[in-house]
Amino acid sequence: MHHFVFIYLSPYCRWHAVASWTWDAQDETCGICRMAFDGCCPECKLPGDDCPLIWGACNHAFHLHCILKWVNSQTPQAHCPMCRREWQYKG
Amino acid sequence: MTMVTQQASSNYYNLGILDSITDDSIEDILDSWTGFCNTTESLLKDKGDLSVGSEFISHVHILCENRLSSLVQDHFFKALEETFEKNGRSKFWHHFDDFRDVSISELNESHKDWVQQVLCKALEDICLEKQYQEKCLLILVHALQSYKEGISKGKYNSDAERVALFSRYRLMVSSVLMTTLPRHFPEILRFYFKERLEELSDMISGNSDDNDEFQAKDNMDIDERTKLSPEVSEMDIGETYNGRKISENNKLVKNIGKVVRDLRSLGFMSMAEDAYASAIFLLLKTKVNDLAGDDYRTSVLWSIKEWIWAVPLQFLYALLAYLGDSVSYDSPSSGLKSPLASHPTSYYPGIDIPSEGLVRWQLRLEYFAYETLQDLRIAKLFEIIVDYPDSSPAIDDLKKCLQYSGQHSKLVDSFISSLRYRLLTAGASTNDILHQYVSTIKALRIIDPTGVFLEAVGEPIRDYLKGRKDTMKCIVTMLTDGPGGNPNGPGNTGDSLLEELNRDEENQEDDVCDDDFNSDDRHAWMNAERWEPDPVEADPLKGSRNRRKFDILGMIVGVIGSKEQLVNEYRVMLAEKLLNKSDYDIDSEIRTLELLKIHFGESSMQKCEIMLNDLINSKRINTNIKASISDVSQKGSDLGETGVSLDLLDATIISSNFWPPVQDESINIPETVDQLLSDYAKRFYEIKTPRKLLWKKNLGTVKLELQFGDRAAQFTVTPVHAAIIMNFQDQTRWISKDLAAAIGVPVDVLNRRINFWISKGIIAESVGAESDNHMFDLVDAMVDSSRNGVNNASCEDLAADEEGETSVASLEEQLLQEMTVYEKYIMGMLTNFGSMSLDRIHNTLKMFCSADPVYDKSLQQLQSFLSGLLSEEKLELRDGMYYLKREYSYLSLRSYHCPHLKFNKVVQSTYLIGNIDETSGYGNDSFVLTHYLCLMP
Ligand SMILES: [Zn+2]
Ligand SMILES: [Zn+2]
Ligand SMILES: [Zn+2]
Repeated sequence: MHHFVFIYLSPYCRWHAVASWTWDAQDETCGICRMAFDGCCPECKLPGDDCPLIWGACNHAFHLHCILKWVNSQTPQAHCPMCRREWQYKG
Repeated sequence: MTMVTQQASSNYYNLGILDSITDDSIEDILDSWTGFCNTTESLLKDKGDLSVGSEFISHVHILCENRLSSLVQDHFFKALEETFEKNGRSKFWHHFDDFRDVSISELNESHKDWVQQVLCKALEDICLEKQYQEKCLLILVHALQSYKEGISKGKYNSDAERVALFSRYRLMVSSVLMTTLPRHFPEILRFYFKERLEELSDMISGNSDDNDEFQAKDNMDIDERTKLSPEVSEMDIGETYNGRKISENNKLVKNIGKVVRDLRSLGFMSMAEDAYASAIFLLLKTKVNDLAGDDYRTSVLWSIKEWIWAVPLQFLYALLAYLGDSVSYDSPSSGLKSPLASHPTSYYPGIDIPSEGLVRWQLRLEYFAYETLQDLRIAKLFEIIVDYPDSSPAIDDLKKCLQYSGQHSKLVDSFISSLRYRLLTAGASTNDILHQYVSTIKALRIIDPTGVFLEAVGEPIRDYLKGRKDTMKCIVTMLTDGPGGNPNGPGNTGDSLLEELNRDEENQEDDVCDDDFNSDDRHAWMNAERWEPDPVEADPLKGSRNRRKFDILGMIVGVIGSKEQLVNEYRVMLAEKLLNKSDYDIDSEIRTLELLKIHFGESSMQKCEIMLNDLINSKRINTNIKASISDVSQKGSDLGETGVSLDLLDATIISSNFWPPVQDESINIPETVDQLLSDYAKRFYEIKTPRKLLWKKNLGTVKLELQFGDRAAQFTVTPVHAAIIMNFQDQTRWISKDLAAAIGVPVDVLNRRINFWISKGIIAESVGAESDNHMFDLVDAMVDSSRNGVNNASCEDLAADEEGETSVASLEEQLLQEMTVYEKYIMGMLTNFGSMSLDRIHNTLKMFCSADPVYDKSLQQLQSFLSGLLSEEKLELRDGMYYLKREYSYLSLRSYHCPHLKFNKVVQSTYLIGNIDETSGYGNDSFVLTHYLCLMP
């Protein structure tokens, strides 16, 4: 027999893999700022946790910072910029 | 006979006198004339008999009474000349006859004494003769004066007669000698002075023990009086030349002085000066050559000046003092200022307020020395710059020389030609060229702070570098690679250029002259040089320093074209580096990024910053995920069916929008690992909802250990390599086709990648029945291991580097992809126009490709793309014009779909070239191509 074993448990062995992260959203870009979800909104410098997405009850997603601005500008009642339904944060 | 003729002619000229003279007086005159002629003869000719003096005088008196004094003088001078011809001139030149046969270039050390003896003897003889004649002339002067005193019955004070007669005599002597001057005489003089000066120089340099020749300088009270600038370090000179100075009583100086004086008295004044001047310059030139040498690590200018002071100036000082026509201590320094002296009155210690002549000499000598040194250094500038910064003393010297001579253009021309000859050649590596370029920038900034000449010199290097494909990569590496973030003091040779630029800037902040080596000398020297405003010091604004720093960087960026391109290239290289990391250790990259931000601005580096941030976040998330596992396993959960722990896996998670495009090829990795990736992604999703992971399975690094019996070998490889070798665990023989399918890569990729394991002796290759189906076997490593070094347990290889495989698409690859669409256009243009310059191709593309596809590339990008086509031999470049490679034109036409149909400027043209246009409908047999050309207006 061959004297060859790949030792998974040897302390030397490591598998350093590479992945990219992506938002688990249907669209690729934010309907408000038109920037990629995997990028960040125009106000932010760092993507990901620093510029998160938020979903509405209508299931449309936006950059949190973008929809906040939008909602604040739409008083008294904001509507989803995509589907015009009344904007409600998804519970 | 002579007498009669003389008389006749004088009678002829003095007809008026004839009327008034009587026969008696004619008798008297004739007697006196005869007596005068005889006594003149006795005085001058043969051995000379001064005892006839009084008789001579009385004859002269009588002749003068008869107003024949001019006749007397004419006759006397004629006699003097005849005698001088015979006793002086011919004997004198006869001394040098022996040298007629020795060509001057053959004169050497061995002739030294001979020349000296002959010259001294000859001068001695002729001067003795001349002195005697002058004595006789003095008798005549006396006779003429006493006659005039007699008739004016009083004191006849005028010296005019004597002066006139003596100057007439000197004129006679020198014209006799000059008209018969042998051609080799000036050479002999030069040789004589050269040898004597060398002797003197040796003596002063301490090669001679003849200390008595010198006076200790503390004997000189004047010294104390005029020691005006104590900071000019006399101590240094004292150390080198033992504080001795040459006095006019020095034996050697006396000898030389006597020769000079004799020569002067014979009317060879300017010839003598030329001779010792050329000897001095020759000696100075030799000295500069000796001192300068090929050592660029020390400044020699000061030593040269020391030497000028210690030898030629001391000599001239003593010589002028000996000749009595120098030193005028009382005269103010008359506004003559050496541009090199720190204070107008202080030239060199020991030589006090100098005479104008000496100042002029000093200026001449220094100018000559500066120019000589400058030429020497310019000729070696290439080597000097290679040695930079060790050679900065030589650079400083050259700077000072050029400031004095103003011959910067000499430097530019010479340096550019040595660049073309030595550096800008196919054999030089891009890195070498770049380093020389940087050293050139640094060195020339010192020499020429205005940057004008640097611009001229930099241009050919930049142009050359632009034509090289690896320039950008090398530049980025040079700028950013280095230990970084590891300031182990100065002299950190492994530093990146950015680090160095930064450190230079910091050093300039506390702008101190901190080379403690020889600092006293340096200070003295700098003080002495302070007459001249230092352009950097002159501008105390901090801005000038920043400009300095940015200029170096700017000139490097200038090679690339724009800072954006440099940043892009850096980003690609950074991505490659980060994706190959397995320890999240990015300290040096963070340091480099900070430096880049300083130089290029924060916003330019935004994407790079996000990339580094991804690494930091990855490390944190990785830890969190591991923590969540250990929680689970402590709760008794199993390691999973494979028995492999998630601990084995680390991950780098990138924000792909901010990274350059990564090579995303799917591969099948071993099931066990694949399972780990799924687990990992699941846990990520649990922690980071609603974010999820997308694995790039071909990327990353794998550290694995192979065990052969009781031996183990460790490797660091890419996932593909790991997948290959792990497939051999269960099945030790594979056919390439099957293995490629199992791993999910094309066969050619497999064949290439598996070479790594073959080279390590782990796998053996044998060609199967079908030549494209290779057979791979796991080698029984116990047999082969020692030969291949597998048993070296610490063996670690990054296979990716070895094969030039990269994780990130390089800029060229990206550009190539984007540019390929224009290739057809370019080929078409060149087919139509024959040849085009880079600019014209660029402009034509801009004009016609204004939509779909839009041409938005820079000139540099186009050039880089074209150089790719050159290396593929699709194009050729001659004299800055691009041509289609001949055999290629057919092919290019074949695939040429004229893109310009949509434009107005279309000319229809028919070419009988071949079956080319697939779209024309003529079919394969047609020889007619309807080809649309776009012609420039
Ligand atoms: Zn947005
Ligand atoms: Zn944001
Ligand atoms: Zn909606």
